Amino acid sequence: MNPPPKIARRVAIVGAGVVSPLGFGLGETLQSLRKGTDCVTPVTAFSVDKTRCKTAGQISDSRLLEGMNRSRRDRRLHRASHMVIAALDEVWSQTDAFKPEIVIVGTTSGGMTFGERFYRTLGNGGCSAALIANYPPQKQIVDALEKFHIDAPVQVIANACASGTNAIGHAFSTIRAGQYQRVLAGGYDALSELVFVGFDSLQASTPEKCRPFDAKRSGMVLGEGAALLALEELESAQRRGAEILAEIVGYGISTDNHHLTQPNPDGSGPRRAMEQALAGADLTSGGIGYVNAHGTATVFNDAAEGKAIEQMFDDVPISSTKGMMGHSLGAAGAIEAIVSLLALQHQLLPPNINFRDRDPELRLNIIANQARQAEFDCVLSNSFGFGGTNASIVLRKM
Amino acid sequence: MSSWIAGLSWVTPLGSGVDSVWQRLLAGERPPLEKLQSEHNAASYLVHRVPDHATKNLPPHPRLRRASAISRFAAAAGLGAIADAEVAPNLERSALVFAISNGGVIYTRRFYSEIVKAGAQSASPLLFPETVFNAPASHLAAILGICGISYTVVGDGAVGVLALKLADDLLASGQVDTCLVVAAEEIDPLVCEAYRQWRLLRNSRSPENGRGMIVSEGAGAVLLSRNDSGCEVKKIDAGSNFFRRAEASAKLRRTLERLGLKGASFCIGSANGTFVGAAERRALGENVRAYYPKLALGDSIGASVLWQVIAAVQGLRTGRLPGSVEPVRGSGAIVLACGVNQQIGGLALCSDREKYRSALS
Repeated sequence: MNPPPKIARRVAIVGAGVVSPLGFGLGETLQSLRKGTDCVTPVTAFSVDKTRCKTAGQISDSRLLEGMNRSRRDRRLHRASHMVIAALDEVWSQTDAFKPEIVIVGTTSGGMTFGERFYRTLGNGGCSAALIANYPPQKQIVDALEKFHIDAPVQVIANACASGTNAIGHAFSTIRAGQYQRVLAGGYDALSELVFVGFDSLQASTPEKCRPFDAKRSGMVLGEGAALLALEELESAQRRGAEILAEIVGYGISTDNHHLTQPNPDGSGPRRAMEQALAGADLTSGGIGYVNAHGTATVFNDAAEGKAIEQMFDDVPISSTKGMMGHSLGAAGAIEAIVSLLALQHQLLPPNINFRDRDPELRLNIIANQARQAEFDCVLSNSFGFGGTNASIVLRKM
Repeated sequence: MSSWIAGLSWVTPLGSGVDSVWQRLLAGERPPLEKLQSEHNAASYLVHRVPDHATKNLPPHPRLRRASAISRFAAAAGLGAIADAEVAPNLERSALVFAISNGGVIYTRRFYSEIVKAGAQSASPLLFPETVFNAPASHLAAILGICGISYTVVGDGAVGVLALKLADDLLASGQVDTCLVVAAEEIDPLVCEAYRQWRLLRNSRSPENGRGMIVSEGAGAVLLSRNDSGCEVKKIDAGSNFFRRAEASAKLRRTLERLGLKGASFCIGSANGTFVGAAERRALGENVRAYYPKLALGDSIGASVLWQVIAAVQGLRTGRLPGSVEPVRGSGAIVLACGVNQQIGGLALCSDREKYRSALS
């Protein structure tokens, strides 16, 4: 048998870009986190007359298209491509010398809205080949890469709501093992009717406010966005004098075979992912100063995740930032990695908004409603999804 | 580092046994053509479907009760590849990597049609979970009892290469000792209509005309191991993206250079009746012996690279390729993949013929 490599390389974040309901770019995102802004608004992209839930975290189309050259080709791109372009533009503004050997990203629905339009125009002749060609889930990132003349292979991981964290975590693992030196990693997803109605049909989304970990939580709201991290082997980044934003030090992944859409209530799936991430980081739970929880505000997720956190940690501050921006599915883990990065850089504990009543079943130190300052070196970020996928990453301050 | 192929299995329109399907391909057999009718217009589509007997040995499992065809194909192929391995893998040290392109499109179309036709309040919560790309992987992980790493990789017809690369990276990093790579697709008229409107589909009124692809379905599975098992995956090139069709040939040529075409006895290509065939022929040149399984079995899109890998291994194992009586000389083969939507990649295989001969005898 071939022996696995013995040297674990260190992995630096040398660039970060984000667009989400919290804002465009790191600066606006930080402002929203500091203020605890509720960025969830009534859905405008499609009819919600017949759904229970009426709201989502959304990104303004007019803002998204600002600065685009509006060529015929650009106008045909999917909204998710424009989100990725905006995020990539920010990454490149920080580290234009970064040449990824591979791109590893997560998504759940790719260009789903084009698929919806294709279906709706069947039989009436209104369909365009561009809808079909730009629908597949790899197209949104590939189109964005073309804009920046990046010709690297693209691995698109579709592990439901854990996709973004899986993509970053797998990218981290490959650099750590010495397979690559530079990987662009992240995630993207745009709001779509099919997915919105899907979560509504499962009664997983709420007609009320999204209240993660609250005793009276009643479900999630959806969101959208894109986030990308430029990851580089630390010594390589230092040699070329790159600014190092933080380090990724641990990643854990587990599969919970309990049910296609529900976590095992004992929290064992999330727990295994978090334990692995801590072990990989060579940390004990006491080394974590903040947990950015998956925290969808569904009864089942928060109970299972809360139980796992309660078992593993002793009073660590935790929040879910999905109350502010909704759950952006395949993008969520990547956006929350950037939330975690900002938390580390600015020693900020982002708030868990819309929180009213403590769940008597969960003994958790929730950062309720208002951001706080604190001193800490490491953050753990969780993402869990349909199919029983669980992923956790650990970031460390440099 | 390289990995080895420890087990193989496929579910195809010609059946499911690796050797029996290969013998039928060597004999020049083709699966029957079926005609699917559009629900929305007068169009019809030629397809190759998986026969019922191909999955008849699949053991019952609660996860498969409501699952779509794609999950049944995947389960049959995945279990088959594990059964094919000489040494049963330790599933605690195994990962599952799934490749998919269109995914669970039957349930997706049904779910969205309920929204459009009857309103959002009528959409069934039983359908939605099966529309998620990683639903087939989740079912297979539950059936096998894999509790660790499971990734679903999505892309175009070259996605299998990217999935194999991910699996190879997992093995190389020492995170697991074996990795089951499974790829699957199912047929739905909606997908056929999309390819028809994209002008990639074979005209159903003139099937004898080789232009355009015939959509097929099924699954392929390969168990990769860090243990030497006779057929080595020498190199995987995760390739690159072509932004215009005219670029495809040059990018394929670069992939072939990186894989070392000169050391290969033959190439298993991905020509499917579309522009892909011409691009591959230009990249390969005239002197390379090539076989194109999609021209026989149809294009199973996301599953097709795994079928190509199995065809390459069988070519090395048996020393024969369909369509030719000339024996295969040498021990190297290349699998080349060009999807119809921008992705390109390939891999190089090398077999120890003696080890295979003893296994076959």
